[in-house]
Amino acid sequence: MAQDCDFSSLRLCRRRAMLGAATLMVPWAFPAMAEDQVNDPTAAPPQVGDHFVFLTGPNKDQPARVDDLELGGPQAQVYPADPKGLVRDGSPLNLVVLVRVGNEGLDEQTRKLSADGVVAYSAICTHQGCPVNQWSTEKKAMVCSCHGSTYDPKNSAKVIFGPAPMPLAALPLKSDSGLLIVAGGFNGPVGRQTN
Amino acid sequence: MKKLYLSSSLAALLMASALGAACGADYTPVTDARLQNPEPQNWLMTRGNYAGWSYSPLDQINTSNVKGLVPVWSVSTGVDSGHEAPPIVNNGVMFVATPYSQVMALDAATGEFLWRYKRKLPPGFAALHNTSRGVALYGDKVFLPALDAVLVALDAKTGKVDWEAKVADWKDGYYMTMAPLIVKGKVLVGVSGGEFGIRGFVEAFDAETGKSVWKSYSIPAPGEPGSETWQKPDTLKTGGGAMWMTGNYDPATNTVYWGVGNGSPWFGDQRPGDNLYTASTLALDGDTGKIKGHFQYQQNESWDWDAMNAPMLVDFQRGGAKNGLLTPQRNGYIYWLGRNADGSISYLDSEAYVPQDVFKSIDPKTGRPDVDLAHKPGTGKAAKFCPGLWGGKDWPYASYSPQTGMLYIPSNENHCNDLEGKVEQRIPGQWWTGVAIPDFHFSVDTKAGFFGELQAYDVETGKRMWRDLYSSSMNWGSPLTTAGGLLFAGGTNDRMFRAYDAKTGEELWHFRTNSGVIAPPSTFEVNGVQYVAVESGYGVDAAFQQTLMADLVGWNPDVPQGGVVWVFAVQR
Repeated sequence: MAQDCDFSSLRLCRRRAMLGAATLMVPWAFPAMAEDQVNDPTAAPPQVGDHFVFLTGPNKDQPARVDDLELGGPQAQVYPADPKGLVRDGSPLNLVVLVRVGNEGLDEQTRKLSADGVVAYSAICTHQGCPVNQWSTEKKAMVCSCHGSTYDPKNSAKVIFGPAPMPLAALPLKSDSGLLIVAGGFNGPVGRQTN
Repeated sequence: MKKLYLSSSLAALLMASALGAACGADYTPVTDARLQNPEPQNWLMTRGNYAGWSYSPLDQINTSNVKGLVPVWSVSTGVDSGHEAPPIVNNGVMFVATPYSQVMALDAATGEFLWRYKRKLPPGFAALHNTSRGVALYGDKVFLPALDAVLVALDAKTGKVDWEAKVADWKDGYYMTMAPLIVKGKVLVGVSGGEFGIRGFVEAFDAETGKSVWKSYSIPAPGEPGSETWQKPDTLKTGGGAMWMTGNYDPATNTVYWGVGNGSPWFGDQRPGDNLYTASTLALDGDTGKIKGHFQYQQNESWDWDAMNAPMLVDFQRGGAKNGLLTPQRNGYIYWLGRNADGSISYLDSEAYVPQDVFKSIDPKTGRPDVDLAHKPGTGKAAKFCPGLWGGKDWPYASYSPQTGMLYIPSNENHCNDLEGKVEQRIPGQWWTGVAIPDFHFSVDTKAGFFGELQAYDVETGKRMWRDLYSSSMNWGSPLTTAGGLLFAGGTNDRMFRAYDAKTGEELWHFRTNSGVIAPPSTFEVNGVQYVAVESGYGVDAAFQQTLMADLVGWNPDVPQGGVVWVFAVQR
């Protein structure tokens, strides 16, 4: 995998991850993405300063605020949007989930990346790339809608059930008086991964 | 020999290796005549013949020598996930389809590598069922319905892409996993997506040019016959009816029989009415795709009980039919139906092959079930039903042996689901059934002695002749029967591939492979030697169900994945 990857620079990270993936037998790579990111801002990954807009629900297309999210879960699906409101839904890999986990019981890494008790993760399951858009009230965890991989949002989205090989990458957040803002790039590879 | 690397450069896109094309010898074009009368030494289509029997007339490998069956070659597919395709063989050339929409061509007798096609799937594409159930052959081409709902035609000698045809928009939730059916020079494919609010269809493409010839929807448009069975007209557009398994064909009447899947969303009360033609078999005109007849197994489908498998064409006396259709369905019943010359389908008889608590009875004239509403889930109304959503059997094929007169069914018992529906907003391309995976409430009878099983029924009497029970596994294995008196099948989580005496059910041979076998086997002959071949590669629903069983009864949640094609022959 991309162990020498500079995670603070998402483009470099993803290119290295793609190279890693391409040397395996399955070409699940996105070779054209680097160019697309330059030419198509809607396909660029979340940028520092972006906010989020809801994909669905009563606040569809509206900016995501802390109070829009139910305390304790479930997650909401969002896309990042630049300060002018351009939504980065040009790449399915930009789909993000926001969970209002609160401030109790978070592991150290999750606490650092959270804002006002909200965390953000890539919504793309590391197993086969399906959206992690379901919720287990029993486990208080995010569940992938394809094969049930279950991720713990209070603990770095680590895998607690199912076939996913890796946790979901987290997206550092800031809160600007309740408006959720991207504070950094994804802290890991995004999309389908292999062990 | 020219070698193509899977380059680590970002320019590595669609890959097809021409390796070994010069060694590939002459390729025998596949014709309509050959498909109607396939040579015993070949396996030209998924189920062996147009009648869909999964039966081979070869008998060199038989009950007296199968104990000497040994692997003679194998090859890695290089990918994980569930391998569900039979090796297709045409005069010494084998074609295997794998997950991730790849195809390998190999020398069928020696395993020598000929070429490989690797599809570049679009960025962000994800498949609920990352598998392929096989390729089809016609002329000098190999046809692969790719996961992203594009039909790909490859040159059989080189693996290079001849043409591609977009079948549907994957971003809307459509995908393809099936093997095509070839009918008079046309490639017929059906779409998946019953969990994504699509509207199912079958489309026929000209094999030479890739142009669409006809397209038939499983859900009528407003005003068309059958549309009156959707009381809320808006529900038609997202009604489901995916046609995701390969059909069978009757050349005598030029009728294509095709299965139709579950209704969408899963809870029938959100789409009141009988919902034709979900959970049905359709009879289509081979030239035009026009619907000539149908039979619906359950109305207002609410259990995810797809009628995905097309019935087999079997001639029997039971029920008075001369020309029949025989099919064990997901709903837990075997059906004997009449195959009429005008394409209409008559109900003759039915019989449960697993205990099922949803139907109180089936009308002896019409075949319409009387449903016990206590076991019919609805919106805000939880209900438990057994067998659960995976049914008495799922997509794995049944087999019919004309030699024994028996129907062989890979089935599962002692499992249930308890579902309650919600009304959900549909997001194109996302799961949309009304219930989330964490709320499936899959349960099993932990006191039961078994879950998976292989059953054999006499076609005329309906009597169960034998069965083999799997105490620690579900059964996802399609059987193959042969004139050698044998039945070959895998399907279990112990990675076994087995041979049974098809008459008595005695297990005669087994071999532990690299992974779980959830693909149908095939058999063929090259230079006078008979071989049996099967892909071993666990994944998809079998693997998902295994993780649930690990939680419930402590099974190993991690059956090793990774595909291998195994080829066996009798040791000399």
